[in-house]
Amino acid sequence: MPYIPNSPSQIKEMLRACGVKSPADFYSDLPEEIRIKDDLDIPAGISEQQLKRKLLALSDKNRPLDKFNSFLGAGCYDHYIPAALSFIISQPEFSTAYTPYQAECSQGALQAIYEYQSYICRLTGMDVSNASLLDGGSALAEAVLMSARLNRRNTVIISEALNPEYKEVLKTYLKGHDLKTYEVQVSGEGKTDLSMFLNACDKDTSCLVFQSPNFFGVVENLIEIKKLFKDESVLKIMVTNPLSLAVFKEPSSFGFDIVCGDGQPLGGGLRLGGACFGFLAAKKEYLRQVPGRIVGKTLDSHGNVAYCLTLQAREQHIRREKARSNICSNQSLNALASAVYLSLLGRKGLREVALTSMSNAHYLRQGLSRIRGIKLTFSPLIFNEFVWFTDNAPQVLNELYKKGIIAGYYIGKHFNKYNGGVLSCCTEKKTKEEINDFINSLAEVLHGEKAYIR
Amino acid sequence: MERKLIFDKDRGCRNSSYITPSLDIKPEEIFGGDMLREDLSLPDISESEVVRHYMQLARLNFSVDTNFYPLGSCTMKYNPKINEYLSGLEGFSRIHPLQREDDLQGALELMYEFQNLLCALTGMKAFAFQPSSGAQGELTGILMVRSFHEINGSKKSKVIVPDSAHGTNPATATMCGYETVVIESRDGLVDIHQLEKSFDEDVAALMLTNPNTLGLFEKDILKISRIVHERGGLLYYDGANFNPLMGIAKPALMGFDIIHLNLHKTFSTPHGCGGPGAGIVGAVEPLEEFLPLPRIKKRNKTFYLDYGSEKSLGSPRTFFGNFDVLVKAYAYILRLGREGLKRAAQNSVLNANYIKKKLEKYYQPAYSKQCMHEVVFSCSEQKKRGASALDIAKRLIDYRIHPPTMYFPLIVKEALMVEPTETENKEMLDYFIRAMIKIDEDTEKNPQKLKSSPHKAAVGRVDETRAARMPVLAHTGCGKHKKSQKT
Ligand SMILES: Cc1ncc(COP(=O)(O)O)c(C=O)c1O
Repeated sequence: MPYIPNSPSQIKEMLRACGVKSPADFYSDLPEEIRIKDDLDIPAGISEQQLKRKLLALSDKNRPLDKFNSFLGAGCYDHYIPAALSFIISQPEFSTAYTPYQAECSQGALQAIYEYQSYICRLTGMDVSNASLLDGGSALAEAVLMSARLNRRNTVIISEALNPEYKEVLKTYLKGHDLKTYEVQVSGEGKTDLSMFLNACDKDTSCLVFQSPNFFGVVENLIEIKKLFKDESVLKIMVTNPLSLAVFKEPSSFGFDIVCGDGQPLGGGLRLGGACFGFLAAKKEYLRQVPGRIVGKTLDSHGNVAYCLTLQAREQHIRREKARSNICSNQSLNALASAVYLSLLGRKGLREVALTSMSNAHYLRQGLSRIRGIKLTFSPLIFNEFVWFTDNAPQVLNELYKKGIIAGYYIGKHFNKYNGGVLSCCTEKKTKEEINDFINSLAEVLHGEKAYIR
Repeated sequence: MERKLIFDKDRGCRNSSYITPSLDIKPEEIFGGDMLREDLSLPDISESEVVRHYMQLARLNFSVDTNFYPLGSCTMKYNPKINEYLSGLEGFSRIHPLQREDDLQGALELMYEFQNLLCALTGMKAFAFQPSSGAQGELTGILMVRSFHEINGSKKSKVIVPDSAHGTNPATATMCGYETVVIESRDGLVDIHQLEKSFDEDVAALMLTNPNTLGLFEKDILKISRIVHERGGLLYYDGANFNPLMGIAKPALMGFDIIHLNLHKTFSTPHGCGGPGAGIVGAVEPLEEFLPLPRIKKRNKTFYLDYGSEKSLGSPRTFFGNFDVLVKAYAYILRLGREGLKRAAQNSVLNANYIKKKLEKYYQPAYSKQCMHEVVFSCSEQKKRGASALDIAKRLIDYRIHPPTMYFPLIVKEALMVEPTETENKEMLDYFIRAMIKIDEDTEKNPQKLKSSPHKAAVGRVDETRAARMPVLAHTGCGKHKKSQKT
């Protein structure tokens, strides 16, 4: 039997030691009605060789992004991952350990997570970070619940330009709470309408949620946000792409109280959107309301520096129904991967990735602007993705797909009023040739002619 | 020598050149200086030094691949290497969640087939794969309970959990807007009288794990189910302890309506220092339509995403959950098959009972009955002799054994909860048993040695009180770069 190391004779010996004849004797408490008889509809086990064949065949039925010229982003970004990253995080001491409850034999994980927390604080400018949450959507939900605990008010104002997947997760998490959500429309530029936001604010407002760069790729007017929203009792939450923080000022300088989002862009890979983790960082005065694991620095019995999980009185295993959150297992290894990513790239490397992605996105946008029939009504203040409009967007996307181009994400799916909108993303992996190919092909699809770019 | 943080290894200059930069825009021309970062205080270190840094950290960690790790309630079984390889295949790792369905047929088929296998194992009608941890599975499940009652027009306000329940159960009830009612156990099991007394019409559900956290099978499960259902409640299964029942009994037959399974426990996916795992949720027929969306369906030979159900509670997480964890768990089930799963379950129970039998003369089992996949000891006697469960746990580290779960479940004094799993051999169990016996002797002969343990670990006993009193949670020192350095 695979993965059972004891030999039949050892098993017999152990059964004898336990005073039973067969393993079935351990199950004497199970009522007959609940037992599986001979009717278990699961195939017989297979060899590793057969398993590999079967899963290879399944995986071959997917078409990986590399088979296309892809401009898909919308919350999951295809960045280059250094080979050393995969090597480091597949070390068994990282991949096969669990939550570092026992500090003395988990210093490696603890220090790595402490460094992760430090990285998140540096990127966001916040004082404290937890050890990760499950994904960006649930991180936002936790941030909103955290605000409600802090000021005990019951409305949440979010921007229409928040990632629709996050809105959905937020809505789900708020089901059991007496919290109302108001969504404030964006302006014609694809930016949050700050005056409407201000109007929506009242004495019941618990928190304001902005995303920047927002779902449409547009960088919000953060300076204005700082000027307009002075009421300190209302918490300001910013959802962000952490990679963008290599270029933009840390959110702390714009007066945000909580910064959260998905860490996937930092070395996470695609994996059907699974290689993600939630990050959440806050001002230190909110520390006691931060959900999830936190690692702290301390001393051991010899007076040497050591690390351990700390402030556990916030957590479910101690506080039970009064816990800040129910979170237990998180996405540690993915968070660790982001720390390794930041360590490998370093200051210069990370800026290069961010700026190259941005350059490519601007280059693409400019190229599209020269095509008749393409409307770029949203603000040009973008980071790595942007929305363009065309008539019959789904058909246009289809035509491009036939040419091997995944032009982006059709936002009409979530936003009726933007039914001609496509969200296209560039990372540093895009070459000029690939971008030109997209621009030329789009011109061809629309006009049956080549638009020669450079 | 003090271990250095990565930030202390900063060289201040370096060319990583992982990518080919193409920098033809000037951000300040687009955004203006006020928006832009002047200084990014990340360290610059060469690749060889980064690799060495993390290799040195890794070696300070115990893990399943390097140590016996009998952490109760966590099912730290061996993580098959083939599954890592398979989940890394280009066709699984290089796919984007927003690709067209026809580009993702393999992934959809995998989830569809996986769902079928899980339904066969548990008796559920369908599964949703988004929930990414046990706790998120619980949140999903109890929100389904909530939606169910709301649609049926009965507002209920309470959720019952036994006093042996895991902390995530009551914490989940609160997150879903319910008041938690705790019922006391009797002989380590649900007290039927108490349950009958507490289960009034305001109770939405009972959350139960079976076998429970004491490692005992709730033998009155059918009676429990009857009480819950007669009173209009639902029965929720915390599947963290499903390992001993795989291929042997079905939660649906026990009367559970909604369940979560921890793929990172029962189905062998690695724990990654705390995650990612998966806490996928299954439901029986009448509750199926409350599951998160999208659901994966099949029409002719094509798989597609179904966003149809209006009763769905929504989505607890973005995209499809931790897809690579699903691939690994699916592969695990295929590889073991019907017989293998059952054998794994049985051997997990055998290993736990073997430890119990061999140690019961020394450590008091919380309950004398036969256990399932884990055994809980109380170290109260040892504590009287001068060494607590904590001291015993720390001393085990000197034997290069990861300590069992401590002080849980809460109803056992000085608890040590041992879950060996089926993937450990007898030699290792015997080594653990000898170590525990030796430690027991030391509680008499040399308790000081235990109290000051560990002696051979990377660090001495860590001062957790100090960490909480004076929180230092991030490195802030000397990381700021001088402005003169070019970025
Ligand atoms: C009995 C029980 N329930 C729930 C959980 C929570 O699972 P997770 O850590 O995946 O959220 C655990 C594990 O820690 C557990 O042992």
